Amino acid sequence: MLAALSRALSLEELVTIRGLARDHQTSVQRPADFDAFWEAIMSELADTPLEPTMAPVPHRSTEAVEVYEIGYTSLDGVRIGGWYCRPRESWATGPYPGLSIVPGYVSEPTLPKSWAKLGYAAIGVAPRGKLRSHQQFNPGYPGLLIHNIVDRNTYSYRGFYADAARAIDFLLAQPEVDPARIGVHGSSQGGALTFTTAALRSDVITCGAAGAPYLAGFMDCAALTHSYPYEEINEYLRLYPDREDAVRSTLEYFDCINFASNVACPMRIYVGLADDVVPPETGYNLLNVMPGEVEMIEYDRCGHDAGIYWEMPNVEVFLARHLEPALADAGLHAQQTQG
Amino acid sequence: MTTSSQTTTAPADLDAYWDAIDVELAAIPAAPESEASALHSTEHSTTYRVKLTSIGPYRIEIFLSIPDGPGPFPALLLTPSYGSVVTPPSYDDRMRYVAATIRYRGTRHADKPYAAAFPGLLTDGIEDPDRWKFRGIFADTLRAFEYLVGLPMVDPEHVAINGTDAGVIVAARRSGVSALSVNAPFFYRLADLYPIAEAYPFEEINDHLRAFPDSVHAINRTLAYFDPLHHAAWVTADTLVSVGDAGAPGGPEWMAPLIQALGGAVEQYAITHEGQTDYDAVDRWLAQQQGVDPRPRMWMPQDIGPWTANSR
Repeated sequence: MLAALSRALSLEELVTIRGLARDHQTSVQRPADFDAFWEAIMSELADTPLEPTMAPVPHRSTEAVEVYEIGYTSLDGVRIGGWYCRPRESWATGPYPGLSIVPGYVSEPTLPKSWAKLGYAAIGVAPRGKLRSHQQFNPGYPGLLIHNIVDRNTYSYRGFYADAARAIDFLLAQPEVDPARIGVHGSSQGGALTFTTAALRSDVITCGAAGAPYLAGFMDCAALTHSYPYEEINEYLRLYPDREDAVRSTLEYFDCINFASNVACPMRIYVGLADDVVPPETGYNLLNVMPGEVEMIEYDRCGHDAGIYWEMPNVEVFLARHLEPALADAGLHAQQTQG
Repeated sequence: MTTSSQTTTAPADLDAYWDAIDVELAAIPAAPESEASALHSTEHSTTYRVKLTSIGPYRIEIFLSIPDGPGPFPALLLTPSYGSVVTPPSYDDRMRYVAATIRYRGTRHADKPYAAAFPGLLTDGIEDPDRWKFRGIFADTLRAFEYLVGLPMVDPEHVAINGTDAGVIVAARRSGVSALSVNAPFFYRLADLYPIAEAYPFEEINDHLRAFPDSVHAINRTLAYFDPLHHAAWVTADTLVSVGDAGAPGGPEWMAPLIQALGGAVEQYAITHEGQTDYDAVDRWLAQQQGVDPRPRMWMPQDIGPWTANSR
């Protein structure tokens, strides 16, 4: 089969071989105690003092935006770092909608200055293991995806998801943030964190925009790609094939498809139909279980970029429609979201 | 926006500056220490983590993958991108090439004693070309290239570099590069780009200038040593340059000086912004240059196994 694939496939050929992405049937099952598992984690998180810190960073601030390096405490007492950017009062008056920009797998959290310039109070969070948050937990990259993958109670994403959800508490603790307008956005792993945060903080999240959502249908995806990061699972199972059932059992507690049924806010999902990193099939598996309003956009021949060249203005409009930043119509644009 | 003319000129001591780096490198044994990685090896290839010493002295690490079989094999060096995480070469590159990625100084697994900050690396020492961290990072890249092409299973007639425009400087400073693909400008005309950029990482330089507004000339002087434009004439490799939108940085007007300056045969590829289309185009060009089959990146379930989607 490998020798036969010596040229790019057209969409028609791809559909012939793999079927329509939207017709993909997921193998993911929802554990009976899925909600209880996460309610216990979120309860533990709620009992953990936030202990927020904010240090101004004057040289990264502009005439429009104030930048702060921030910190807060998350699950298991792990300190999480990140960036908080808010409009200066002289640029846009508050209260501001809050926006969490969540990072991709290998990238460091961005400074969301361009979003703040649009009128958002924006946080760029560094979940545990990222630089600025890796003193107490550092499984390394590659490696995060398979760290303790046979044990749901210590799997890497247990704390990682909690850290992203906790960023919302940081936003809510800022007096200039309007608690009725809180959004979340990211691509790839950021797309996954958009889902998990919208589900775990469904009480406050107003809307979310997720590009190429990763961590949905883990095992289905690993069976559809040799590209990293999912290739980490293939590598692990090549070495330890007898652990497949344990791996699958763990991952079902962390699968965005199982979070998606708890996402009630309006969501925008965009995928590349030729994405080798996050197979687009599982984007439709998310769509199929979401109870709320969903806009699903597909881009032919686009890969893990998920059509961001064309999609970015649409994401800006979607978020502005639901979050109403002060300068949505000022002709300004956010930095293109990367996974 | 000015996109058609460059503002940097080559420093008078450009050659002396880079010759000094080469002298430093030559004086430091690479002292390779190779360890096979079972986790990252496949049914087609074996991957190694190789520690090497670069200038400083500084211990860096590369992922090196070698296809199974007698060889010789074409070689592929992936130039570093800007970020803390470096992964092994892609599965499909590992199938076809002796391929290497570089954990340069400051990145994970090469972060002792220097742990780079992101943002922060781009401006670390930027006011002095002898202290800018990229002086060492380019030395790391040259060291990795030397190690790669010195391997006995490498076909010396087929040595390629793919990635950012850092490859232009490597191909200019070292002989033996047969094919060079420049996918994205980073160092090229950086002194022209950062004043009009608001996006990171280039915004790091604007941040630095907010704190040190008098350092603009020093910064631009440093950047000039690293502008691929001033090295391009020494490149003899066949070169593919990916070109972006007209009127924008990276577009045809912006890239024209580099394309004109390159010493080897140059082809241009007009970026479509369809990620997979663009990936496949570069892959096809490199494969043709290297005498191997192109590889699409959409995988079929039959290729992966034994765990398959919907296996329940």
